[in-house]
Amino acid sequence: MPVSTTDGETSAPGVNWADRLGDGALALALLFVCFPIVWLVQMSFRPNEDILGYRLLFIPTFQHYRALAESQFLRSFLNSVLSSGISTLIALIVGTPAAYVLARWRFRARSRIAMWILATRMAPQIAFTIPFFLAFRVIGLSDTVLGLALIYLTFNLALVIWMMRSFFESVPRTLEEAAWIDGCSLWGTFFRITLPLTAPGLAATAVLCFIFSWNDFFYALILTRTNAMTAPVAIVNFMQYEGWEWGKMAAGGTLVMLPVVIFTLLVRKWLISGLVSGSVKE
Amino acid sequence: MSVRAVAVAAQDGEVPARHRNAYLLGLLPALVVLAAVTLAPALYLFVTSLTPASPTRPDSLFDFSDPLENYLSAWSDPRFGESVWIQVKLSVSTVVAQVLLGLGVALLLNRRSRLLTALRTVFLIPMVLPPIVAALIWKILYTPDVSPLHRALASSGMPVSSLITNPDTALWAIAVADTWQWFPFTMLIILAALQMVPREPIEAAQVDGASRFQILWHILLPAIRSSIVVAVLFRLIDSIKAFPLIYVLTSGGPGTATQVTNYYAFTQAFNYAYWGYASAIAVMLTAGVFVLSLAISRAADVRIDE
Repeated sequence: MPVSTTDGETSAPGVNWADRLGDGALALALLFVCFPIVWLVQMSFRPNEDILGYRLLFIPTFQHYRALAESQFLRSFLNSVLSSGISTLIALIVGTPAAYVLARWRFRARSRIAMWILATRMAPQIAFTIPFFLAFRVIGLSDTVLGLALIYLTFNLALVIWMMRSFFESVPRTLEEAAWIDGCSLWGTFFRITLPLTAPGLAATAVLCFIFSWNDFFYALILTRTNAMTAPVAIVNFMQYEGWEWGKMAAGGTLVMLPVVIFTLLVRKWLISGLVSGSVKE
Repeated sequence: MSVRAVAVAAQDGEVPARHRNAYLLGLLPALVVLAAVTLAPALYLFVTSLTPASPTRPDSLFDFSDPLENYLSAWSDPRFGESVWIQVKLSVSTVVAQVLLGLGVALLLNRRSRLLTALRTVFLIPMVLPPIVAALIWKILYTPDVSPLHRALASSGMPVSSLITNPDTALWAIAVADTWQWFPFTMLIILAALQMVPREPIEAAQVDGASRFQILWHILLPAIRSSIVVAVLFRLIDSIKAFPLIYVLTSGGPGTATQVTNYYAFTQAFNYAYWGYASAIAVMLTAGVFVLSLAISRAADVRIDE
């Protein structure tokens, strides 16, 4: 196993075969990761007569995608976009100023708030779902896009506060202090100087919020029925209520994963800090 | 003002007093919303767990005549105990598998080359896939009529019957799928830690003729220990939430073979509408996650808060 951090060249004799073995293991791991995904995507392009075929050469068809376009799937896709988008927007508007305050103002309860945010990350979703479910029945938010956007705030708000705080901490204070001396107010300085400097971080945070909301299945399964049903729930309904239409399911799955994969490639640098938000010393 | 407070204020370049209100103005909305979406539901969950709440009796939401009833019946409910045991098996097996596989792949990727940097991105994909898509993918792979693996095995004369409908293998089939989706997470954390390890001790050890295994055991592993603990913590916390895979692959079955505690609470709440009982299970599950996380971070001496 090549454990050294050298540029691949090694001086010890008899190491070549070990490197080869490592490359082989890596290729196996890559196959393990890629094969299942590739299989799903190719299935979505196979005609129904040959849906289970495994010959590499086949004439791709869009029939499953066309069938989806004519079904209710489009609407659930839109619901996914809306609920994720609205939740991301609210989380950014409410969370960004708070993140700035936590980055700049050392007050006593600061670490308590950090602990609180971490605790929301640990709680299982079922703990939030039951109370939201009961409350939504009373206030009329069940099966609405807004209701979903609200429950997504349980993780999005914490994510925004955590990520943006570290971005704000990397902006030097001296810039802000200069603006204050020129008579600019605290929030005037924030909007004119600090926020523009962290624009890439803000974009990355927005993308992560969107992905996490987009990926949600549990909340949408329980809190929606027909009106606000999201794309992941619609895919499961294909399985349960419409018989086993593998082609249609594969096409739906491919469509739902497409935005996530594209976004991931855009923000991969920040992905880990988002996933472990709350952990690791600063 | 204590000496320490003065020191902190000086080091931060003290906050002008006139900014205090402006700061509060920025912080309060977020705290109010956060309280509304997390604290209030947590309290409501706890209150509900003290009642026999269910939709058949509207007044049951406020019936506190026997507040501990749900907790006591969970204690004597064999299916609850069984679900905890299934949870332990699933969590331990997936976390161990993900750490070992993640460590192995991280060691293999920890070389500087353009190709490997590109490969890292590919390894990211399973982890960001919508969990329902991961579940669909494995449903295809585990359904004998559809699965390329099952058919390849059958045509080479070694047919294998479905793993997810066999109570002896269903849980391990889920563990494999979960490992597929989440080993990239442990891999990335470990890889990031490996790249921070200084080169000098490794080179010195190489000069002294240390084997690769000795370098791994005596230099690399101690250096990345706290990162491994962080990865274990996060995977453990999330493994308790595992839902889409179980829902799609087995629905908790066959029988109750894959019914973890989270899933049990879900069926109690939303299939049978025992809201009070399900709330009590959710409270215990949440408490369990907190206690476990604290215990592990204490034992490993890794601070997970600030």
